[in-house]
Amino acid sequence: MSLPTIVVLAILTIFPLGYTIYYSFTNFNMLKPKAIKFIGLGNFEKILADPYFHQALGNTLKFMVLAVIIETVLGLLTALLINSLESGQKLLRTLVLLPVVLPPVTVALIWRIMLSNNYGIINKMLEAFGAAPVNWLNDVRTAFYCILVIDVWQYMPFAFLLIYASLQAVPKSQYEAAKIDGASALQQLFFITIPNIMGGIILVVLLRSIDSIRLFDKVNILTRGGPANTTATITQYIYNYGVGNYRIGYSSAGAIIMTLIVLLISSLYVSRAFKIE
Amino acid sequence: MGIMKKKTSWSKLVLIVILLIWTIFPIYWMISLSVRNSDELRSAIPLLPQSFTFDHFLRLFKEKDMGNALSNSLQVTFISLFFALLFGLASAYVLSRKRLQVKISKPTLFWILLIRILPPIAFAIPLYLIMTRLGLIRTKIPIISAHIMINLAFIVWFMITFYLSLPQEIEDSARIDGATELQLFSRIVLPLVAPGIASVAILSFMTSWNEYLYGVIFVQSPKNYTIPLVLATLNSEQELAEYGLIAAGGVISLLPIMLFVIFAQNYLISGLSSGAVKE
Amino acid sequence: MNKKILLSIGILAVLLLAAGFAPAGQETLTIAARGGSHVDAMNAVKGEFEAANNVTIEILGLEAADLKQKIGLDSLNSTGELDLIMIDDPWMPEFAESGVMANLTEMGYVEDEDFAAASRAIGKDPYGEGDVYALPFSGNVMLFFYNKALFDSYGFDVPTDWATVLSYAEKVKADGKIGYVIRGQQGNPIVSDYLPILWSYGGNVFDQEMNVIINSAEAKSALELYMKLLENGANFEKNDIVASVSDGKAAMSLGWPSWYISGETAAAAYAPIPGKVDQTAETNGSGMIGNWMMAVTANSGKKELALQFLEFVTSAESQKIEASFGGVPTRASVLTDAELTAKYPYFPTLLEATNNSVVRPRTPLWSNVETALGTELSSAISGVKTVDQALADAVAAIEAVMEE
Repeated sequence: MSLPTIVVLAILTIFPLGYTIYYSFTNFNMLKPKAIKFIGLGNFEKILADPYFHQALGNTLKFMVLAVIIETVLGLLTALLINSLESGQKLLRTLVLLPVVLPPVTVALIWRIMLSNNYGIINKMLEAFGAAPVNWLNDVRTAFYCILVIDVWQYMPFAFLLIYASLQAVPKSQYEAAKIDGASALQQLFFITIPNIMGGIILVVLLRSIDSIRLFDKVNILTRGGPANTTATITQYIYNYGVGNYRIGYSSAGAIIMTLIVLLISSLYVSRAFKIE
Repeated sequence: MGIMKKKTSWSKLVLIVILLIWTIFPIYWMISLSVRNSDELRSAIPLLPQSFTFDHFLRLFKEKDMGNALSNSLQVTFISLFFALLFGLASAYVLSRKRLQVKISKPTLFWILLIRILPPIAFAIPLYLIMTRLGLIRTKIPIISAHIMINLAFIVWFMITFYLSLPQEIEDSARIDGATELQLFSRIVLPLVAPGIASVAILSFMTSWNEYLYGVIFVQSPKNYTIPLVLATLNSEQELAEYGLIAAGGVISLLPIMLFVIFAQNYLISGLSSGAVKE
Repeated sequence: MNKKILLSIGILAVLLLAAGFAPAGQETLTIAARGGSHVDAMNAVKGEFEAANNVTIEILGLEAADLKQKIGLDSLNSTGELDLIMIDDPWMPEFAESGVMANLTEMGYVEDEDFAAASRAIGKDPYGEGDVYALPFSGNVMLFFYNKALFDSYGFDVPTDWATVLSYAEKVKADGKIGYVIRGQQGNPIVSDYLPILWSYGGNVFDQEMNVIINSAEAKSALELYMKLLENGANFEKNDIVASVSDGKAAMSLGWPSWYISGETAAAAYAPIPGKVDQTAETNGSGMIGNWMMAVTANSGKKELALQFLEFVTSAESQKIEASFGGVPTRASVLTDAELTAKYPYFPTLLEATNNSVVRPRTPLWSNVETALGTELSSAISGVKTVDQALADAVAAIEAVMEE
């Protein structure tokens, strides 16, 4: 049964992956396919020496670490909170999930309207409290954190959904036994709940790590990497200096570097998560 | 958890209110922008709408062919989700059973990981050329297969965690009772991981529904536009953004997926908690 | 389970076949265009051509970056899916260099002098003198926008030099309003907003021999002025710029006409961009041209028909109709047409500005140059780097880009 899946995935991925690796060692330009030339590690050397890439890498890793931690912790707390309710769980679940189902373009634009330093509702509210308006998306002190907050808003529900689903699978008998033994609520949380939903948490951390390292949409629409490159990300770098003007060789090398980084980071979790039993 | 329930219900209420305001406000803002007339959207926007109109919605359907995009999105999403679940649920099960597939399980996971990480354009060039040569580029097949590819990888990977959490004894006892592998899988294993299936279905639906990067690469005719493609053309640096249209587009996009989430949610709490495993 | 799978795969296969070999209907011309008003304008006129030539015109409206990507992908096919493409003018050198566009002159196209000269020049390779590869579809040139009521209340005249602009901004600022709004987001916005000032100061990104000269004295003074304007104003995103200048919260900004002017109503008063440093200085061209061009693809299977449509859609008759669907004419005869100028009074200003416009540097690597320059300009205005440091870094970054 896994055979057809593997065959389908193989066809759909081996070729493209092979091409990507091959292109990364060439100067391939999509508009000039005939001029393709093997240039060894040229692309890699150039990317790794580029100060703009270093900035993008730094921003991306910082973003990834913060986003993953905040989203996972808030997702866990939200899941515990909603799971502990006696009524209204279903309604709350639906409402809480709303941000994650919105199209990313719409999310970015709605937040842009709210964060506008001209007439944005957030600055309006601040003004009501007597604070000066902030140029949220164009100030080096705030732009990065705005992107982070928007990402947390959108993807905390993702963490919530996975952790909540895992919570449903925790056998009730364990709690009953613990209660008989007189365990406190906190003890129950750390000795029963968390160990039982560890798989779900690791999955959240892993998926959010991969997705947040690819951060692009929000940055592209809201800040274009600015101000002063403080929100530039790796994907955006690959896009600006590669894909955007057809330098597929260069962008493939960038993609491979990014893939290696993700593999390095995630292998830490994967080997933990799937050590199995 | 039962102990926490009664003692702290007031603080819980506060937390829930904070959670709701945080989650709902931007969505309220979107909905409220979608029903205000364009004049009201031009400068300072008051907290409560001062005007009410369905104009933006009507314009989307009339001028931007939103009806067609809605039907395309539904087609692409449901067809790809069906096939991805069909292949994915079964494959993940096989891969998660260590005794069967010790060696290939890990490389497969890394492989699946790659699909998620590599930029779509890397996949798109060869796929685009192949599809053009096969004469399929003007159909919905390239986009549907791209969606199956992304979601299949995700489903397999996701479900493995859930299968792994199943107690081995259940399957063993079923085998002793003489169940075939197929019966074991469809009658016993699948119901046990229903919460997992529900969440993976929601997430895959969401990915497909909002998928943009492959969509824009493979679309070759305005007849095949999906919702995200229509939404993207509403925003460009060259033209002034019409926030009313953008917000209305968001609302239209939100409705079908919300219905799906509500539907799929019913399975979130079935499965294990409903008593299949009480040990 | 296996039976089900097999059955499903079977159904899928049949579906695939059915969809794949659906009968080809009428002949189709496919156009990749920038989504939005351009598509509306073409849709408004295409019916006549479809009927006369028994052809279906399909227009793919895409966001600019996606449009560029699509054109590149399709150029890899031996016979393209796209017959006509729309091109932002800075992309022209890139496409000309790599042979994406069909040579219209070779196909027998005779140059039409009615198109504004500056627009025509963009469509030729080499720039301004070679064969024609693309025709100007949409005229666009940056203008200076100001709030008329605010100007009147101070008794300001329309400024023609930047020293005056700054002095106005300071006066307005002193009264607690926004003097001048910059569009200072990193990337294309800040570069488009800064270049007209740079040109007014007589500076440029490259000299005649394509040496990078963005750290020249002119460039520094221009950037310093830009930052002074910001001190006496604000840094907004384009929608906020238009909103604030329109309602008198802010006094002045640069911008593309289509932001402020839709159909018959203009949200703010407009004039050509000032072209000199101060009243005594000499005037330089400063209005950035940003035409959208249209070309036949080199790998189109229907080049002749595509060229016919291209001539049709850019004809004077079509442009007159397109004008009421958000199209901006590129022909002098249309821009000065009495009936139209009565309805769209900004057309003569647009023609004047186009005739004095400046084109962004012609290099196939412009998009990378713009990214690098945009990053450094952003660093300067946010105070992360000094003007000298930022421009020196820009030189280094742009030189690295140009090494390719």
